[in-house]
Amino acid sequence: MQARDIYIYLMKHSTKFICLLVLILSFTIPFIPGVDARLIEVLIIMYVFIMFSSAWNLLAYSGQASLGHSAFLGLGAYTSVIIAKMFNLNPLITVIIGGLFTAIIGLLIGLTCVRLREWFLAMVTFGFAIIIHTITVELSGITGGHDGLPTKHLVSASVLTITRYRNEYYIILIFTILSIYIINTVIKSKIGLAFEAIRENELEAKVMGIDTTKYKLIGFALSAFFSGIAGALMIHHIGYLTPDIYSIENSFRPIIYCISGGLFTIEGPIIGTFIITVIWDGLKYFGLIYEHLVIIGLLLILIVIFLPRGFISIFEDINKRFRSVTYQDTTS
Amino acid sequence: MNLTVLFDIIFWGLYAGCIYILLAIGLNLIFGVMKVVNFAHGELLMLSIYITFFIHMIFNVNPYLVVPVTMLVMFFIGIFIERLCFRPIMGTGKLNEIFLSLGLIYLLQNTVALVWGSDFRSIRSPFENDAVVFGLAKIQEPGREFIVMNLTKIQNQSIGDYIPIWLVRLPLDYVIIIFVTIFLLILLQIFLRKTTIGMNMRATSQNREAAMLTGINVEWMDMISFGLGSALAAAAGSLWCVSGVIFNPYVGSIPAIKAFAVIILGGLGSIEGAIAGGLIYGMAENFASYIFGGAWKDATSFIILLIVLILKPTGLFGESNR
Repeated sequence: MQARDIYIYLMKHSTKFICLLVLILSFTIPFIPGVDARLIEVLIIMYVFIMFSSAWNLLAYSGQASLGHSAFLGLGAYTSVIIAKMFNLNPLITVIIGGLFTAIIGLLIGLTCVRLREWFLAMVTFGFAIIIHTITVELSGITGGHDGLPTKHLVSASVLTITRYRNEYYIILIFTILSIYIINTVIKSKIGLAFEAIRENELEAKVMGIDTTKYKLIGFALSAFFSGIAGALMIHHIGYLTPDIYSIENSFRPIIYCISGGLFTIEGPIIGTFIITVIWDGLKYFGLIYEHLVIIGLLLILIVIFLPRGFISIFEDINKRFRSVTYQDTTS
Repeated sequence: MNLTVLFDIIFWGLYAGCIYILLAIGLNLIFGVMKVVNFAHGELLMLSIYITFFIHMIFNVNPYLVVPVTMLVMFFIGIFIERLCFRPIMGTGKLNEIFLSLGLIYLLQNTVALVWGSDFRSIRSPFENDAVVFGLAKIQEPGREFIVMNLTKIQNQSIGDYIPIWLVRLPLDYVIIIFVTIFLLILLQIFLRKTTIGMNMRATSQNREAAMLTGINVEWMDMISFGLGSALAAAAGSLWCVSGVIFNPYVGSIPAIKAFAVIILGGLGSIEGAIAGGLIYGMAENFASYIFGGAWKDATSFIILLIVLILKPTGLFGESNR
């Protein structure tokens, strides 16, 4: 095998190699010297939001852009925390229960949304976030109202902080990888094709014999499930839960991540979350409290105008150029 | 619930409704002409609040006189935003508009917070303690006794020989706001129906291509409609802040989102629908806060929206083919 053949082989399977590289890197990061709890914290929140944005993206994939996804984030978190407290269960179990409960609620919300499109859908989902916020605050006997609830940590809190952070890092990383894998399988399967058909033209999809209502509901339930798990994981890591989790910002963040990364792709939310987190936390680190949000806003506008397919289109262009080069090499 | 409380709630609902109506009609104008939904409308409201506040503070004039100035300033800011942000993405898909507005929300909120700080501020209205009082009162004079309709402007006057049977006290600020809103709506109707530009705008909103064929410069219409929408948002914002609302740079999102709910309730693009929706929302919110408590204020409007949309997915006055 010559060097050129190896190069061509690498280029052919570049996605797989990049995935492998990212996986290895993410699994070894906590043991790189100089990585402290602060950085691990940032990474954990980043993984949670990767999961959350992927879930949002899954719903957007079926043509339903939600503006109130923080409802699912918060529902998962509250369910998990309350069940863990009531039955004294391990958070790892209650996280799944939280996700399932959120999926059921997602199904109910989806039922009211099947006939709605675009702004109507956006407004109704936004409204649901506010309604669920209000209900949560009103049920202060269970949820603690505005004061919130202390929560169990994913790993029992008695161990040394950095060890706890490391363990939680791995748990959340595994959850994230699993959920991305499942979302990928769903999108690549027949369900994903149905989603795409509905997104492009709902009437045509219906004519082709796709049960649009069923698939839209599946989209809602799956998206809510993963959002719920993400919220529960995040809150069990942070250790305290307040109704602030229903904030508008939490609804907007997955949208920003998905847009900047690239909509309707698997890699988009991952790349978007990574890049925006680096910019966001990097600027915050330098003490720019409002400036970093101004820059994010400006960036978002510029991306929508000049890079409508997100950062991923840059990588795709580079990849295409390389591919064409290798193709010429093999033919010549 | 006695009659006075009922009247108070309806009146407060009217006042809240006026703010929503102004915002919603601005949105509707923009949507009608450009077919673009500007989710950052609340940030235009917030910006106009700050402009009013600073003009009022620097020149120390009556805040009500600042309202037209703010509207003019916001008209040009609106044109500026339309040219720079919305023009490039016209026709590239509905999701892009939502996303661009999100970017604008972040940009405007935090620029204002950066420049003017994120503390809560408020304007003291010159008519803070004044109120319009009316109702029935009994006048007792020596020898006779009769009932009159009482209509006085200043509340703090001693009532004297009057014995109130039921009196309603309406803060003067709110009365002014309601009348200014009605005045603006009439002006807008005259503009849309009698002037050439207004008629061109309506033609554009009915059929963009046909309007283009008849020689209407639709891009001008886009700019003017966005400017007018911003000016109406400015009217809503400055009137709202003059009535004594405390504000910070993040105050805009909830009214804007409700204005959306209003136009969705009334049907996209329908001005009558926006007026009806705004009034329904204003009243419903105030009734809900009275009956269930203040926490339900925001949720109520969305519950109404949900019920309406489940029953009629195009809104109350919406056209069925959208």
